[in-house]
Amino acid sequence: MKKFLALALALAMTLALAACGGNNAGNGGNNAGGDGGEGKTYKVAMICDSSISDGGWGMSCYNAMVDAAEANGWEYTYSDMIAQSAYYDTIVSYCDQGVDLIYAPGNQYTDAVLQAAAEYPDIAFALLNGGENTPGEAENGNVTSLLPDAQQVGWIAGALAGLMTETNIVAFIGGMELDTTKGKYEGYVESAIYVGEQEGKTVSALDIVYSGDFSASDKGIEFAKAMIDQGADVFFGDASAVDSGARQAIDEANAASGSVKIYDIAQPSDLLGQNECIIGSQVTDNSSMVGLCMQAVADGSFGGEVIYGTLQNGALSAGAVSDLVPAEKQEAYQSYIQQMVDGTFMQ
Amino acid sequence: MDWTFVSNLILAGVRMATPLIFLALAELYSQRSGLVHIGLEGLASIGSLAGFLVSLVTGSPLLGMAAGAAVGILVNMIYAYATITLCAEQIVYGMAINIFAPALAAFIYRVYFGAGSELVQVALMETVAIPGLKDIPFLGPLLFDQTPMVYLAYALVIFTAIYFNKTKSGLNFKAVGEHPKAAATLGINVIGVRYAASVICGALAGMGGAYLTTCYTTTYVDGNVAGRGFIALAAVIFGRWSAGGVLLACLFFGFCDALQIRLQVGSFGVPYQFFQMIPYLATVVVLGIIGMRKAGPKASGKPYRREER
Repeated sequence: MKKFLALALALAMTLALAACGGNNAGNGGNNAGGDGGEGKTYKVAMICDSSISDGGWGMSCYNAMVDAAEANGWEYTYSDMIAQSAYYDTIVSYCDQGVDLIYAPGNQYTDAVLQAAAEYPDIAFALLNGGENTPGEAENGNVTSLLPDAQQVGWIAGALAGLMTETNIVAFIGGMELDTTKGKYEGYVESAIYVGEQEGKTVSALDIVYSGDFSASDKGIEFAKAMIDQGADVFFGDASAVDSGARQAIDEANAASGSVKIYDIAQPSDLLGQNECIIGSQVTDNSSMVGLCMQAVADGSFGGEVIYGTLQNGALSAGAVSDLVPAEKQEAYQSYIQQMVDGTFMQ
Repeated sequence: MDWTFVSNLILAGVRMATPLIFLALAELYSQRSGLVHIGLEGLASIGSLAGFLVSLVTGSPLLGMAAGAAVGILVNMIYAYATITLCAEQIVYGMAINIFAPALAAFIYRVYFGAGSELVQVALMETVAIPGLKDIPFLGPLLFDQTPMVYLAYALVIFTAIYFNKTKSGLNFKAVGEHPKAAATLGINVIGVRYAASVICGALAGMGGAYLTTCYTTTYVDGNVAGRGFIALAAVIFGRWSAGGVLLACLFFGFCDALQIRLQVGSFGVPYQFFQMIPYLATVVVLGIIGMRKAGPKASGKPYRREER
């Protein structure tokens, strides 16, 4: 009898777990209304290793998919908080469900996407921050890289950091050591140093740090506190929920000093107002790039290309700037952004 | 390396050690009664969410902590019933809790907030400085300018040390973990003690999780417990199943994690992977030095069947 009860209890927990759908069970399954235009209802699925409620990268990428799906009349679904070991299995499970487009927002999904793309030639795969060569590596030509220019992303944040730093030390927090993260850091540093020079300052940057995890907001707190101790007063990051933790620490430091003197620049959507310390945002219009993929799937022309996101084509931009940035610095910032668009920045 | 660096490093270590102390004490009570509980990670996850939600709804982080404890007890009763009453395998059910509870937390979060992607933030518990004591150089801010939960964690360590070593009830408790049949012949209610241990374990583990979202970070993110349940398990072994040892082990783990973060920031060209190794490297070194001379409670992990000879 006891064995039976133990088994029944285990079964009940398993069934409850199945009902919950696991850790990565953020399954939206929403219909954006309408169809693809020819009677077929298209469906996109996003996979994400961070939470879509992280107040940063995951949130912005999810919103981009929802916006694009609504604009194109697609259904959408997602799985978040996926462990690295489950990237491939999650993608394949969506492939088996017959989705038309897999949207993988990050360079770290490249191997899993290429493996699944080889096995499912009729399904389209959009890899945000994918490599320039990645579409060519897909034997079925069904992978497209969406590639925001990481250097320009860094430039946009770095220019504001160079203008606003008073200690002349800026900081950057990374999640994992990805090429795109390193590209953003390098752009951020060179831009901050250049703009600082133009403003008569000698700006330096602390070494990039990595939390090794996109969910560890507590590590964001500790990194930010350590960097503030080192004198950093403008932060930028590429670490999802870790960035949210860093902003919490910055807000606390500002509250303790009685004035807002330490700032954060958000990405990849406009997060002005989310925290007091955010003075501006680097905005990536992932929605338009995902939308282009959806249109290509619908008209049968998808695959094998790289869709670049740059300041020049409007996929990258600077978000709204806080009142904490004085008017003359706001003006100077817009001037630097215009130089970036014109291709004359740092020339 | 200046004095401020050292002071801030220790402060960060204390901050990072506090949730570990709650979790390790939970494990200590459980193991002292003979229940090896590897499901702390799961209990902390559900406690973390409960603390966050109640804190958000009521605006009171203190109620959030209480909710974390209550939910921890509730979920741990599954483990208790299976392992004490049904005599099921403790490791298996601990693992089941580790899979079930975080998934349940993720599910409840989605049900409550929908598929929305906004970052929800709550107010954290205020620190309460102890007048006079907080002004003691160096030690003052470390020990006497913290949230009430930090004071509670250290008070629980002292209470636990006294309880297990100086009280009859505590000695009875330990006897159940060492030799339950002998304890039963002396009139000790073995089943009752183990259920009481499960209640304490659930409450403390839930509080350890709730601490993260009511005293540490303003947001809840799935996976925010980040392996602390397993570190706490190691801390109990490290601490030789004593309250004082567990405290030192937790402070050691917290300090190592804080150290790798602080060294990364000031690395100046040293690969960051080197610093990320520090907590693991230190664990191996310390285990090598102290060895495993003293084992845990002798009946740990073994089900108690009253009818069995």
